[in-house]
Amino acid sequence: MRTDDHRDWKLSLGAYALGDLPPDERAAVAAHLEGCEECRAELRSLEGVTALLPLADPALIEQPAARPPADLGARIEAQIAAESAREGRVKRRRRFRLGVGGAVATAAVAAVLAIAILPLGGGESSPAQEVNFASLPKGVSIDATLEPHAFGTEIEMYVSGVRSGTLCRVFLRDAKGRTYSAGSFRYRWGEDSHAKLSSALDLSQAAEIGVHAGDRTFVAPVGGAEIDSA
Amino acid sequence: MGALTRERDVREAYAAHSGELYGFAVRSLGDAGLAEEAVQETFLRAWRAGERFDPEIGSLRTWLFAILRNVVIDLGRARASRPRVAEGGVEPSVEPLEQALLAWQVEEAMRRIGEDHRRVLLETHFRARPYAEVAEELGVPEGTIKSRVYYGLKALRVALEEMGYED
Repeated sequence: MRTDDHRDWKLSLGAYALGDLPPDERAAVAAHLEGCEECRAELRSLEGVTALLPLADPALIEQPAARPPADLGARIEAQIAAESAREGRVKRRRRFRLGVGGAVATAAVAAVLAIAILPLGGGESSPAQEVNFASLPKGVSIDATLEPHAFGTEIEMYVSGVRSGTLCRVFLRDAKGRTYSAGSFRYRWGEDSHAKLSSALDLSQAAEIGVHAGDRTFVAPVGGAEIDSA
Repeated sequence: MGALTRERDVREAYAAHSGELYGFAVRSLGDAGLAEEAVQETFLRAWRAGERFDPEIGSLRTWLFAILRNVVIDLGRARASRPRVAEGGVEPSVEPLEQALLAWQVEEAMRRIGEDHRRVLLETHFRARPYAEVAEELGVPEGTIKSRVYYGLKALRVALEEMGYED
């Protein structure tokens, strides 16, 4: 059999599967199918589709696909952001625990570096701390997890309820009132708002943590509840 | 992408799948307002259960559709328990849900295939018009209609498989 003939048979299989062929053509295709496994397989594949066609409503096919209202995504994001703000502390704590394996590895590398660079000390460990900012304006929520490192303090900060796009500058302050920058981030509404920052001040020396958020400044004392990172 | 735990994950999931989810919700609930409610509830449930989503087990799309199915069932029950008001317009869907999903998938797949193929399948199959008549109307040989039926069905199969259909 020539390849072209075979292709012609195949082209008839759609009409055959739908029962649209006149009797003589139908009989010819049936005879070919008897001896052609490839065409039988092709027919089975098409019949999987033709069996579903009666379910479809042709009037609905010709209508444009229904599209969700343009603001639905934003409404869902707002609802999730609100829920996330309420649950923020719980979720973040869980993630902190999940990240402990990696943190231990990083700490180990840092410790090795510390030993190589510094004769002794510099990496003495005070435990990680969680700081909650009290007396914030209604709707604003800020908290932070502080973790000691040889280089200083790693800070994971969670902010919500301020205007989207607000520039947040974070700092630590020691007992003598000296300020150490911990970097900055921008709060984006609807985005994951856990910022990872670091400051050169050792956690054991930190007395306060603060955020300049836009034209407001929020400060909380460091040295509160410890986190069980077990 | 791993678990659906960040707000950004939800945003991406919404961008990728909300159209289809909404289309199916409209098809099965027969009401745009309820469909909106269903899609919103679906993404909220997905977000709350985000840590349980495992891409190793199945696609995000399949997972979201599974959630939506439950939401549609819940909304259907809630609606059934509300007093019915006489209403014109769309008749509430009475098809079983699985069938509604398949029906919507076939309709959506038909919308996705090429215009030439869709036209020929609509005229010959859904409107039961003779191939010769359609060929004349389109100004092509009858053999072309036959091959468009064949390639149209093949394209339809690919489109259905993209939506998770398997036989």
